[in-house]
Amino acid sequence: MTPPDGSLLVARDLRKSYGPTAALDGAAFSVHPGEVVAVMGPSGSGKSTLLHCLAGIVRPDSGSITYAGRELTTLSDSERSALRRGEFGFVFQFGQLVPELTCVENVALPLRLNGTPRKEAERAALTWMERLEVDDLRRKRPGEVSGGQGQRVAVARALVTGPRVVFADEPTGALDSLNGERVMELLTDAARSTDAAVVLVTHEARVAAWSDREIVVRDGRSRDMERSA
Amino acid sequence: MSARQYARDLGMGARFAVTGGREGWVRTALTAVGVGMGVALLLLTTALPGVVSARHAVEEARADYTFAVHPLPKGDDTLLLADTGTWWRTKSVRGRLLEPEGPKAPLPPGVDRFPAKGEMLVSPALGELLASGDAQLLRERLPYRITGTIGAKGLLGPRELVYYAGAEGLKPKAGGARTERLRTFGDPQPDTAQADPVLLMMVLVVFVVLLMPVAVFIAAAVRFGGERRDRRLAALRLVGADGRTTRRIAAGEALAGSLIGLVVGAGLFLAGRRIAGSVTVMGESFYPAYLDPSPLLALLVALAVPACAVLVTLLAMRGVVIEPLGVVRTAVPARRRLWWRLLLPLAGLALLYPMFGQGHSGGDFNQYLVIAGVLLFLIGVTALLPWLVERAVARLDPGPLSWHLAVRRLQLSSGTAARTVNGVAVAVAGAIALQMLFAGVQGQYEKNTGKDPSRAQLEIALSDHSRVGPAAAAIARTKGVRASVGLATASLGEKPRDADAALDVIVGDCASLRELAHLPSCRDGDTFALAGPEYGTEFDRASRDAVLRPGHDAYIDPGYADVQGLSVPVAVPEHLRWATARGDSLMPRANGLLVTPAALPKAAEPALSGEVFVRMDQALPDVQEYVRNTAARVDPVADIMAVTPTETSARYTSLRTGMLIGASCVLMLIGASLLVSQLEQLRERRKLLSALVAFGTRRRTLGLSVLWQSALPITLGLLLAAAVGMGLGAVLLRMSAAEVTVVWPDVLALTGVGAGVVLAVTLLTLPPLLRMTRPDGLRTE
Repeated sequence: MTPPDGSLLVARDLRKSYGPTAALDGAAFSVHPGEVVAVMGPSGSGKSTLLHCLAGIVRPDSGSITYAGRELTTLSDSERSALRRGEFGFVFQFGQLVPELTCVENVALPLRLNGTPRKEAERAALTWMERLEVDDLRRKRPGEVSGGQGQRVAVARALVTGPRVVFADEPTGALDSLNGERVMELLTDAARSTDAAVVLVTHEARVAAWSDREIVVRDGRSRDMERSA
Repeated sequence: MSARQYARDLGMGARFAVTGGREGWVRTALTAVGVGMGVALLLLTTALPGVVSARHAVEEARADYTFAVHPLPKGDDTLLLADTGTWWRTKSVRGRLLEPEGPKAPLPPGVDRFPAKGEMLVSPALGELLASGDAQLLRERLPYRITGTIGAKGLLGPRELVYYAGAEGLKPKAGGARTERLRTFGDPQPDTAQADPVLLMMVLVVFVVLLMPVAVFIAAAVRFGGERRDRRLAALRLVGADGRTTRRIAAGEALAGSLIGLVVGAGLFLAGRRIAGSVTVMGESFYPAYLDPSPLLALLVALAVPACAVLVTLLAMRGVVIEPLGVVRTAVPARRRLWWRLLLPLAGLALLYPMFGQGHSGGDFNQYLVIAGVLLFLIGVTALLPWLVERAVARLDPGPLSWHLAVRRLQLSSGTAARTVNGVAVAVAGAIALQMLFAGVQGQYEKNTGKDPSRAQLEIALSDHSRVGPAAAAIARTKGVRASVGLATASLGEKPRDADAALDVIVGDCASLRELAHLPSCRDGDTFALAGPEYGTEFDRASRDAVLRPGHDAYIDPGYADVQGLSVPVAVPEHLRWATARGDSLMPRANGLLVTPAALPKAAEPALSGEVFVRMDQALPDVQEYVRNTAARVDPVADIMAVTPTETSARYTSLRTGMLIGASCVLMLIGASLLVSQLEQLRERRKLLSALVAFGTRRRTLGLSVLWQSALPITLGLLLAAAVGMGLGAVLLRMSAAEVTVVWPDVLALTGVGAGVVLAVTLLTLPPLLRMTRPDGLRTE
């Protein structure tokens, strides 16, 4: 169930400190189903912390986060883990693929975490790998593929469970521009085709251009940006 | 390449080891702790010969026995000394009564004056114990006033319990009795005999077996942080360093880590040395001053450890191609080959084979061949294990997710897993071999006494037969005593002098004699010949026939060429009554006449030695202490021994004790190093583990995966260790000319201990795993 305004994930007045450092200081955020929102800001501005709070990875010190009508900040660790397993997908800057698993096993991993049998999970994984044009890497290990290929495998892994929100933290940060463009194209296309919202943390305007809306985080506070035509 | 360039590269590597912020320091600290623990143990090993010789020197210097057949004549330089050593619960107390007979009487080492009668000098530890109030029963036994302290020169260690008490009226006895007349302290016949070859071989094997895992762990510790180092080296390649330069930089980094490890090791050793004086290990304590490493061996450690660190690093980098684009690819690993790995134990066997059966002939074992052979066997474990793990995990199919993650990780880097458990596998293989060897040769060093500890738990040898009656009566009244049996013995020959055969005369009342044999009927004045189908050798039977000739005289306490005996004739009755020895006799080796008091000629009484056997309620706490106190009151010089079914050679026992102490140290080191190495691996994967948790992986799944990653290689490692250990054990037993038998419970127990160490360490890594997998591990700032 989504809130009246149609937002899938809404955060209000988020505050989070690490020791004396305030990473978030009253940040706000919202995203609709199928919408791609870019979170921008300089290094250390708090954008990754905002993403981690939104995804239920880190609990904020105060403020509220509502996902599909449920208050995330009051959920237990295991409830938030279950939410991440079933409803969210993740793409990190360096892919963070498990080096000892093959690419297809990496993509199938979130399904296996949900209890899907291995063969079935790998079949579904292969479908996504085909969509992201990396199905020929299925038997290779992450150490044997290029950065761009690895990142596409990571995108397939983020989408394989059919998440309602994909969190992408600097997904092209380690790629050259050509590979970065391709990854963004595949990620946003795939997300839109499944009506999944995308929360995209980046500091590159070129990457943010793939989004529908931009939010700038500076000194722990967020601000909606008007997009110029 | 100039030496300067070389030094610059090594220096840069060394800087990397100590710079790089917290991350770098943690990595270097882990390496230093890993290497340091190994170095500390190596230094301890180099100090052991010094400890042994220092203790041996004290032992020889304070030796207070003679092998004189006749007592020395009294003089102004003689000392009467009675051995009154006792036990306090499980601790041995060395005690002596001293009576100087002139102004030049020798002082024991560590003592500057003789205590007067009623006074005693005590070791610091005994003084402490007596003052603690915890040893009230011991204080009752040593009722002397404490007037001084025994110095370190007279003690084996700071925790040794020793006293010297003043006495008057001691009577010297010759032939190893508890009271001697001395002119000097010191071993009258210093030990120059050649060491038993089997024991010497066991010493060598113990050293190799205990030190090998230490070397394996040092090698593992210098490889901590390898992945991060490779990434750093790739960055250096990018700015122009060539392959050789990166290797030198890596060598410099390893060198720095190992040098810091040496310092940490020396620090740990010195810290351990400081507290060594306050601990007791298996009843033994040591003066810190004894723990001085041999300078040559310490220098060898100081050189070998850094050299080993560099060598291991360079060997480890063989399969790594470090490219300038920040990409570190492991070269496609060649399949591990079996043939050369098998050659190692086979070469070990080839070296040891020529010494098969040598334990019989008493000949020397070539110590270099023994060391090399055992080393090759154990290195075989470290070489075979990676092959075995690789082959075994290659065949495993993914199952549940935790198993899947573990199997895949092992398939990707089976070498790392094998390295982690190598030390445990080597230690277990060595321990199994040693255990087999000890069990196999135990019979050669253990004598069956034939005594049954359920019939009597203490045996008290009195200084004078006349004390038998009062002692037995007093002990019978002692708290916790169920029965006491007093008997007196002397020897019996067929001639008054130079008897060819010797039997025993055992004197006691009918009830006491019934503790030895089934008597048909008995009253005071009766005499019986002791017989039993189960006792005695052919020689015993022949002696009996020679001495017990009905109608002839036999002689109590016959004299010999240099010993004046009483030679009291005793008539062997025409119709000698035979008594069958009990299967559980209190004196199972007795062979001769059983005599009731009225049947013993009065003249023979001075030849008798008295003994009291004591049956106690062992459930009563301190029951032995009550008995010892009673015995000490009746006869201060009484010798009280626990009845045991076997007696074991002192050298064999001390070697076994040494092995157990060493094995405990090695196991502790293995556990600690394994923990450090697993934490290091977790730390390297921290970000990945956090990412896995971020997308919802249950921590239980990760925990189980870590458990499987340890359990699989350790299972294989222990199987291999059991096989190699039993093989090596069999070879060592063949060398000792002992029968090859496998004590399966021991093998299972040792492999169980190895598995337990790994399991415990894995469980200890779970809390850090949970901490490291917190989602905030994803933060980079």
